Order: sequence, then structure tokens, then C-alpha cells
Amino acid sequence: MKTFLLKVEPVIWLLFGQGILIGTILLTAWLLVIGILIPLGVVPSDALAYERALRLATANLLFLPIGKLLLLAIMALPLWKGAHHIRSLLVDFGGGERDPAVASLLYLIATAGSVAAVMAVIRL
Amino acid sequence: MREVTKTFVLTRFDPDQDEAPRTQEYKVPVREDWKVLDAINFIKDEIDPSVSHRWSCRMAVCGSCGMMVNGEPKLTCKTALSDYGDRVEIEPLANFPIVRDLVVELEGFMDKFKSVKPWIVRAKQKAAEEGTYRQSTEELSAFKQFSMCINCMLCYSACPVVANEPEFIGPAAIALGHRYNMDSRDEGASERNQRFREEGTVFSCSYANECSEVCPKDVDPAAAVNQAKFNAVIDWAKGLVMPKGGS
Repeated sequence: MKTFLLKVEPVIWLLFGQGILIGTILLTAWLLVIGILIPLGVVPSDALAYERALRLATANLLFLPIGKLLLLAIMALPLWKGAHHIRSLLVDFGGGERDPAVASLLYLIATAGSVAAVMAVIRL
Repeated sequence: MREVTKTFVLTRFDPDQDEAPRTQEYKVPVREDWKVLDAINFIKDEIDPSVSHRWSCRMAVCGSCGMMVNGEPKLTCKTALSDYGDRVEIEPLANFPIVRDLVVELEGFMDKFKSVKPWIVRAKQKAAEEGTYRQSTEELSAFKQFSMCINCMLCYSACPVVANEPEFIGPAAIALGHRYNMDSRDEGASERNQRFREEGTVFSCSYANECSEVCPKDVDPAAAVNQAKFNAVIDWAKGLVMPKGGS
């Protein structure tokens, strides 16, 4: 398992890195709009009404389903960021010996979440 | 100049007599412009000649006088005593085996440095008549910051991964390897990137950033580690697309 984890580390690191980007920029903006600006009335409450949100989610740019990709990125990538960060944190707190098992579990959760996110956007 | 008396608590360890490190207190009349190293030298010269510590240049260039000052890794010749209270605890650098008193064993760490090939690797050296290797200002600035490392090992002492994983090659060694990878004269990046994808190298880093916090030369090893991770990933991806000659 240790060798396998080392082998897939570049892929996980890429997902993690993009997760940081999405997590800090897009997700923050998303939460700002949904959690603060809409309740405060700064952004009209129908801004994310179902029809409008659906139109955004199914928007295409050239031939790219940009809306679906954006939603997928917001849902899936922060899971990898979280999984990788929790793993690193546990190693720092002395969980190095259990790392292969812990890492496998965390990445399994991230994988399951990502698969669910892919299914969700496909069904839109 | 004004003098105040401060108490210094030094770690003492004589491997021939002591089973474990102990501490010893010294009262030192310190001048207000003194660095921590000045006080340790005073103890050695005037109070207790049996105290062992390493130092040399006294100007933050040789990297010998790294010690824990009140629990933080510091270059003692660059650390002003005026920043500390009446009681200053001096210990040998954390995460290293102690040889004696404040002196630590660096042998194994030098092997880690060697493992990243910290020299310019070229398939073929230019003949002297072909002239020198010229570099533009941009090419120089790509690696200059990472070449300022003085191997003081403070970053190893601060790194939580070094503490947990003794085989981790560590911030300074990665920064040094990255320095050569970024050098336009060098052709050894693929060898180093391969090393960087092995166990206990760049991907073992847990992003604590402590190395950059304690670096006395502003090398920012954490930035080097992250850039090295990115380059190692790109190199790995190239290897997938172009299995031969890509990496």
C-alpha cells in the first residue's frame, strides 16, 4: 500500500493543489454569496433560483460544459484538499505508522465523493 | 554601555559521564548590544571552559552556531539578546543527536544533501575555448534565493516531518536540489526529479512552513519544496506521455 500511495502521490498532489485553489477562491466566493450576501439582501434572493442555477450549471462555452465542470470542481476538489490535509496533519501529530491505512481511507472517501459529484453533474 | 545580568540555562551532556542531557545555569553580565552567541562565548571563556559549542564567523555566513534559544531554532550570532528576558534557555538543535553539550551530529544529514546532486550536472562540459556559461539576470534570479542557504540546519530542527520521519531528506536538501534544477546551466533535473519522487522526499512535506519561518537567510525552503513538488509532478506527467526521454 505504501508503494502504491507513493506512486499515485503526483496525482493526489495535483488534485490537492487544485482543491486549495478552488477551496480558497471559488468555494469562498460561493459561500459568501449563498451564506452572507443573499441573506443580507445584497444579492437578490432569486439570483440562484432553480431555473437560473440550472441555466448556469448547464452552460456551455464553445463545446465545453463549463457549468458542469465548475460544479464538479467545487464539489470534488476540496474533498481531495481536505483528505490530503487531514492526512498530513495526522502524520505531523505522530500517526506516521498508521499513515498507509489512514491515507487509504481518506482517499477512498474523496474518491467516493468525487464519483458522487460526477454522477450528480451528469444527471443535470 | 549598560550591562544587565541574565541567567542562561545551558544543556550539558558528556557522553562519557551522563546518561541523559542535563541543564546548568550561568549568570552572565551581558551588554545590551550582545548577541546570544556572545553570552555563550563569555560563559566558555570566563566561567566554564568545559562548555562545548560550535561557532565560527559571527556574521551569519558559516551556519555553525545554530541552537535552540528558548525553544526556537536560531542562529545565535544573529539573535539579539535584547529580544529576550532575564532567563534564556539554550539547547542543542532539536531533531539531531547530541554529540556533547550544544554540539549536534550532522553526519547523516550531509548524505541527504549529497543525494540531490547539489552540483551542476552536464552531459558534456564545454571546452575552455568555447567560453563561459552566460546567464541573464532572469536566469540568475530563478535560483539565486535558493542558493543563499548556509546549511545551518535550523529548518531541520523546526520541521515536524523531520521530527517524525528521520529518513525525510528535509527542507534544505530539497531547496538545494531545486536550486540546481532551476539553474539554466544544469542538465540534471530529471535525475533530481526522480529522487524527489522517492519515499521521504518532497511529497513527505506536510506544508507546516516552519522551515521558512526559521530560515535566517530568507531562502524560503517551503517555496522551494512546493515548486519542486510541481516540477516533479510535471516531470512524472511528461514521463507518462513520452515514456522514453520525456522525463
